[in-house]
Amino acid sequence: MWEKLANIDRRWIYGLMIFVIALALIKPVGLAIVPSDATKAAYDAIAALPSGSIVWLGCEFSSGGITELMPALKSIIRQGFRKDLRFVAAGMWEMAGDMADQAFSLVPAEFPDKKYGVDYVNLGWRSGGDVLLQKYLTSVSDAAQGRDHYQASLDTLPLMSEFTSLKQAAMCVIFCTGTPGETAYIAHVTGPNNIPLVESCISVSVPGIMPYVQAGQVKALIPGMKGAAEYEVLVEMPGPAVAGMDAQSFSHALIILFMILGNIGYYATRGKKA
Amino acid sequence: MKKEVPLAVTLILGLLYIVANYFTGNDGLASLKSNLDSWYLAVAAWTTAIGMVNLAQIHGKRVAQKRDGWFYSGWLMVCMFGMLLASLFIFKSPNHAGWKFLYNQLIAPMNATVYATLVFYIGSSAYRSFRMRSMEAGILLGVAAIMMLGRVPLGAMLLGGNPALGKMADWLLNVPNTAGMRGIQIGACLGGLATALRIMLGIERNWLGGTGE
Repeated sequence: MWEKLANIDRRWIYGLMIFVIALALIKPVGLAIVPSDATKAAYDAIAALPSGSIVWLGCEFSSGGITELMPALKSIIRQGFRKDLRFVAAGMWEMAGDMADQAFSLVPAEFPDKKYGVDYVNLGWRSGGDVLLQKYLTSVSDAAQGRDHYQASLDTLPLMSEFTSLKQAAMCVIFCTGTPGETAYIAHVTGPNNIPLVESCISVSVPGIMPYVQAGQVKALIPGMKGAAEYEVLVEMPGPAVAGMDAQSFSHALIILFMILGNIGYYATRGKKA
Repeated sequence: MKKEVPLAVTLILGLLYIVANYFTGNDGLASLKSNLDSWYLAVAAWTTAIGMVNLAQIHGKRVAQKRDGWFYSGWLMVCMFGMLLASLFIFKSPNHAGWKFLYNQLIAPMNATVYATLVFYIGSSAYRSFRMRSMEAGILLGVAAIMMLGRVPLGAMLLGGNPALGKMADWLLNVPNTAGMRGIQIGACLGGLATALRIMLGIERNWLGGTGE
C-alpha cells in the first residue's frame, strides 16, 4: 500500500486535476480576493495619469497567455477609458494584433463613445524585436510601415497624427509571457526616456521580474492571474480571472496534497528499500 | 576573403552601433543607427520566410520518404501553406470573417491548450520531485508549499483570513528570490557581453557557417 502511495500513477493525478479545475470553474466557491499592494500600485499609477494621455499597450504575448493576461489588459482598458485615456497597442509577438483586437472588442458595448482611430489604435505585430521598439522611438509610422493591424493607412487615423514617436507615451503598460518582453522596454524605451513602465506578466515570470521592480525599472507589477483577478476587483468588473482563482487555489491544494502523500509513501517505504 | 569581409563588416558595424547607442545628440550617428535599424527590420521580416522554407524542407523530406509520423508533417505543411495562401489571396486583412474564424476557433484554442497542459506536468513532477530526501530538499518542499498557498486566496482562507502565508510568500519573492535572480541576470548579461565581443572580434565564427575552424 505504501509503495502505491509513493508511486501513484500519473493518470490519477491528471484525472483528479481535471476534475478539481472543472468543478471550481463550473461551481465557483467565490474565495475572497483582496487586492495586494503590488496590484494597487499599478492601478494607482494609471489612475494618476492626466485625462487624454496616450498609453502604450505592449501586447507581448500569444493566445497561451490569454487566461492570465487578457483579464488584466481588459481591466486596464476599462479603467483608462473611464478617465478618457487613449491607447496605442502594438507588440513584438506575432499575435500582438490579435490579442489587442480581442481586448478592444469590449469597447463598442461598454464605451460606445470611444472611436477607433481617435481614442485607440491597434498597430499589431511587426518583426524586429527590440530593434522594432527603437524604430518606434524614432518614427511610429516608419516602424509600422504606415499601416495598422487592419491594413488601414495611419494617415487616416487622427490619433496617429498626434502620436508620432513612442517617446510621447505617458506610460507603457506591457503584457508579457517571455522574451522579447520587459528587458527590451527597459533597455530601449522606458529607461532612456523616463517613461513609467507597468507590467502584467504570467505567474512563472514573476521571480525573474522582481529585480526590475525593486530597482524601480518596472514601476508596478500585476503578477499573473492573481494580479489580474485583483485588478478586476479594483475596476469593479469581476470576470474570468476572479473565476479562475478558485480553480488555481484548488489545483494548488491538490498538488500539495499529492506532495504530502508522496512523502508519506517515501518515508514508509524507505527502510524496506534499504 | 569569404570570411574576412563578413568579419570586418561585423566588427565595424558592431562598433558603430554601440557608439550610436551610447553617444546621442549627433545627427550623423542617429541617422546611421536609424538606417541600421531599418536594415535589421527588413532582414528580420525575411527570417519568417526562411523559417517557412526550412520547415518545408524538413517536413517535405519526411513526407516524401514516408518516415514515422509523416502524416503529421503533411498536415503541418497543409496548415502552414493553407493559412499563408488564404491570408494572402482570400482574407487579406485580420478583419475578414474567415481569418477571425480560423484564429478564434483553431489557432487561439490550440495554442492555449498546449500551454494549459503544463499544469498536468507540473502537478505530476511536483509529486515525484518534492521528496524530503535531505534538509535542502525539505526546505525546497516547505518553500514550494508556502508559495503555492500564499499566492492564492485559499491560503488566507485556511488561516481564517490571516494574510501570514501571503506575507511569507512575498518575503520569499522579494528577498531570497530577488537576490538569487539578480546574480543570475548579472551573470547572463556578462556572458552575453563576452559572446558579443567574441563574435565582433572574430573569435566565435560559428555564425559564418561550418565548424568555426
